[in-house]
Amino acid sequence: MNKKTIFRIVIDLILFLAVLNGWWFIVIPFGFFGVYTYLYFIEILIAGIMYDSLFGFIPGMGVQAYIGTIVAVIIIVIMNLVKRVVRK
Amino acid sequence: MIVVFVIVGLFVWAPHFFPAIFNSIARPFWRMEFSLQSGSLHSPEQLLNENENLKRQLLDAQVRLQTIQMTEIENAEFKAMMGRASTTPRILSAVLKRPPFSKYDELIIDAGQDKGFSTTSTIYASGNILIGKVSDVLGETSKVTLFSSPGQKYDVLIGSQHAPATAIGRGGGQYEAQLSRDTKVVEGDIVISLSLNNKAFGIVTGVLSDPAQPFETVLFAPPVNVYQLRWVLVDVKGK
Repeated sequence: MNKKTIFRIVIDLILFLAVLNGWWFIVIPFGFFGVYTYLYFIEILIAGIMYDSLFGFIPGMGVQAYIGTIVAVIIIVIMNLVKRVVRK
Repeated sequence: MIVVFVIVGLFVWAPHFFPAIFNSIARPFWRMEFSLQSGSLHSPEQLLNENENLKRQLLDAQVRLQTIQMTEIENAEFKAMMGRASTTPRILSAVLKRPPFSKYDELIIDAGQDKGFSTTSTIYASGNILIGKVSDVLGETSKVTLFSSPGQKYDVLIGSQHAPATAIGRGGGQYEAQLSRDTKVVEGDIVISLSLNNKAFGIVTGVLSDPAQPFETVLFAPPVNVYQLRWVLVDVKGK
């Protein structure tokens, strides 16, 4: 197992523990970093769905109930655009 | 693209699919965290000392409890005479997650459909303080929305004069209400809720008055700190 894979597992663990505790302020920066560093970093999307599943998804809450998933998608889109510009 | 459609489809048609999976994963971790916070890893000596201390406190409390029980019996008798007797059992439940880290001003408690909870169940903190209602029920956990969630509105009566007002949740167990400046409300006044079965709702913590305005803002909060709640009582049927 190479260094990059081990590092990815560490980031995944941090994301998992942060989401469990609802620490979105830790998930977001690590999400940006993960999506920038790795190809197909779908862990951020899973983290978003997990965050909403644990703390959101309350009927009658509206779009706010899906904020984790929405933010995850936004992070993926932004970082892919950034990657395209930076890595030309 | 197919994956996105599947996820959106599950969000819409099976809203409990993901919560059921992730809550099953999270629950053991939350239980472990709760046990650690409860002192599971303390040394035997420390636990014995704590036990002894608690026994003493319990004895003190029992004496006070007897007085309270007398009053409660008397109260129940009066209520029964007035046709308002209540024998609804309440279930004790551990608070696994609480604000401020849960973003939506909600609690996650360690019981759900297994204890017969539903979205009509109401939540009390110790001291019979009504603090929220169950908003979503899963197998072994439930989500509780606090009444203080931002934007939630309730009709309340404030102070000894029972001044009527509309309380607006500000999050974190805090509420605010607008009252005429002529109303004499002071810190420490009791607030009761009209729409929630006349239960004690909070205690006035501050009154903001501006001489240029005809109204004053009354700030109040429940006597319990929602950030420190570890146990709650659930009225399964709700009132």
